[in-house]
Amino acid sequence: MLKEKENIGFNGGFDLLDAYPLRFCNIVERIPSDGIQETFEFRIPDQKIRHVIVNLCPTEPWELPNWVILEHKTTEFLNKLKEIKIRYFPEARYYIAITKKDSEPIAEAMNYASNAEWMEIFALDPKYPQDDPVMLLKVILDVDVNFGQDAMTQGILILDAQTISAIYENGILGNTVNSRFIALSGTGLKENEIINVQLGTPIEKVLHNRMKACTCRVFINGPLRGREITDLSLKIDWAVNNIMVLKELDSKVIFPMIKSDELALTTNVLGELRRCVYCNFCDDICPVNLEPALYYHSYTRGEKHKARLYNLEKCIECGLCSFICPSKLELLQTIKECKISDKQK
Amino acid sequence: MKKLLKPIEPIIDKGLDTLESFIHTHRKVNFLFGALFGAFDGLLRSSKETAQSQPFIRNNYDVKRFMGAVLVALVFGWVFPAIYFYGWQCVISKLLVSFIIGVFVVDVLWAIIAREDHISEGGFVSCLLVPAILPPQSPLWLVGLGAALAIIFRNVLGGVGNNLVNPALFSRLFLTICFPSFLVTGYQIPFVDMPDLHAFRYGLDAITHATPLTAFKTNGEVTSYLSLLIGTSSGSLGETCRLALILAGLWLIRLKVVNWRIPASYLGSVIFLSIFFSVIMGKSVAPPLFQLLSGGLILGAFFMATDPITTTYSQVAKWIFGAGCGFVTVLIRDFTSLPEGVMYSILLMNLLAIPIQSLMVKIRYRL
Repeated sequence: MLKEKENIGFNGGFDLLDAYPLRFCNIVERIPSDGIQETFEFRIPDQKIRHVIVNLCPTEPWELPNWVILEHKTTEFLNKLKEIKIRYFPEARYYIAITKKDSEPIAEAMNYASNAEWMEIFALDPKYPQDDPVMLLKVILDVDVNFGQDAMTQGILILDAQTISAIYENGILGNTVNSRFIALSGTGLKENEIINVQLGTPIEKVLHNRMKACTCRVFINGPLRGREITDLSLKIDWAVNNIMVLKELDSKVIFPMIKSDELALTTNVLGELRRCVYCNFCDDICPVNLEPALYYHSYTRGEKHKARLYNLEKCIECGLCSFICPSKLELLQTIKECKISDKQK
Repeated sequence: MKKLLKPIEPIIDKGLDTLESFIHTHRKVNFLFGALFGAFDGLLRSSKETAQSQPFIRNNYDVKRFMGAVLVALVFGWVFPAIYFYGWQCVISKLLVSFIIGVFVVDVLWAIIAREDHISEGGFVSCLLVPAILPPQSPLWLVGLGAALAIIFRNVLGGVGNNLVNPALFSRLFLTICFPSFLVTGYQIPFVDMPDLHAFRYGLDAITHATPLTAFKTNGEVTSYLSLLIGTSSGSLGETCRLALILAGLWLIRLKVVNWRIPASYLGSVIFLSIFFSVIMGKSVAPPLFQLLSGGLILGAFFMATDPITTTYSQVAKWIFGAGCGFVTVLIRDFTSLPEGVMYSILLMNLLAIPIQSLMVKIRYRL
């Protein structure tokens, strides 16, 4: 049965897929690691799993798209899921969250679900950060968890498509899984590609010959939620979904109003630092209905304890407030600092 | 456009670079012209700061665009209609005086004295609003004084981001107290016809002392709604062509520069309360549609009450803010000897915005 859920507990968000259309060319090549290979191993959780959420809802354009794993054979993928269900979590209920942009997998999954009582299909808005665990749990199961809290404690397991194929290969078929797909994109690269890379390969080797000759910065798992990598000898593990290389635009560009395409997707802040003008952009875009400017003002007045009174723990650190702020304030940084002093207490 | 600018780009870029390094190496020059150069440079070139903390990409939308959108909306909303109705000589001279005194003299001097590193874009908006809320025949020195007062007052309170009340309205209040005679006279009858050269320059040489609201106050005369809507009735320079103001305001709402809650609640409460009082008191108070379309209500509701800094931050409180503005406006118009109350209502609610905001925060987070 199909449940279309729109804007349930989710008034803000931002359609990044529209704002930054990225196209991946179809080249999928295998990059072997020279050193020690690492393998994927699935550890069965200790808790009793009651709900399994399959996340097929990438909301960032630089994330691995669905077609790489599904290969337009959604039924086959769901058959794999059924095997996993029989083997590992027979009593759990399955929820498939698919982005609304992928009409083909939705149709196939609907077709499949009409004969399968154990699963439900959810067509979700492809708005960032819909695929965040907190948002998924809220929209699908109506369960409230705080950011950073493990959903496993409530008996809920969230899996992405690639992990499910890997569990199937490793657990059901008994093959060793030592490689994974990674999306490579960004303005610092010659081409946007999807690569199949062995675990344990250093990032250096992956990016070799692919980067443009300019100052670039490398980000793992996207520039919004991910982290910056300065040490390129870091090895790729299973948690790496995508690598993004962005141009470091640290010089002034003349006539920026007519060059928005050239400036987009660079690390430039695209504006000058100003004082907060209370424009309400941050609380309009906030997916969890917080008011980030309140934290900023509390912080600048030196009243971190006050910031914590305004539902600070609900923040999922998606970074949209800093992203949208026309005054270019570091709102996410402020929120994180307000949170840190909480832990120290 | 891109191709046209391509050949001159490197020349301007290099020129600005040399100028910048010159200014930064000479301390005295930097002291005097640093802020002015910064503002000029900021208009032509993007900043060179890069994101050092998460998130590492930022949206292409800054305060300059925010203010630029308001400026464009105001130019289409009142400058062009006013040029048609009152002639370009009247409008352009006021704008020049307002900008030169407000932004290029007072704000630059303030930046030098207070050692600010940049000139705020908000000054342009205030200086574009000051002539709009003064009568068409007001002397130029009055416009200049108004612009200077607006900018000084805003800067004294700490600049854009800290102003307590709308600077343009505050300066008008100041002028109303100091020079009341100039603000009740000097209303011109708008020109309505195919403009010839003379009319395009001077408009119609006919002075009236009656705006539709004062006419209603003195003899109960209701001006036709159509003439109020398209601007063929007298009034302050920028408030008469309500049709253009509404269209410009809706454009700003679409861009999300203007928060739709404030015009909706302000205009809605004016209509509601004026219907209420009309039903109770009959013909002695102004009819609802006349109240909506007369005076500075449309200009105030779309462009002044919505000034984001002086309203509340909480979205729910914005409804209270707008409704309060409407309440005070209708009260002043209907029950006092003053013909117009938009200025007072917005200024009063600007001050009340702070307690409303803190109250809303307390209610929302159960403090």
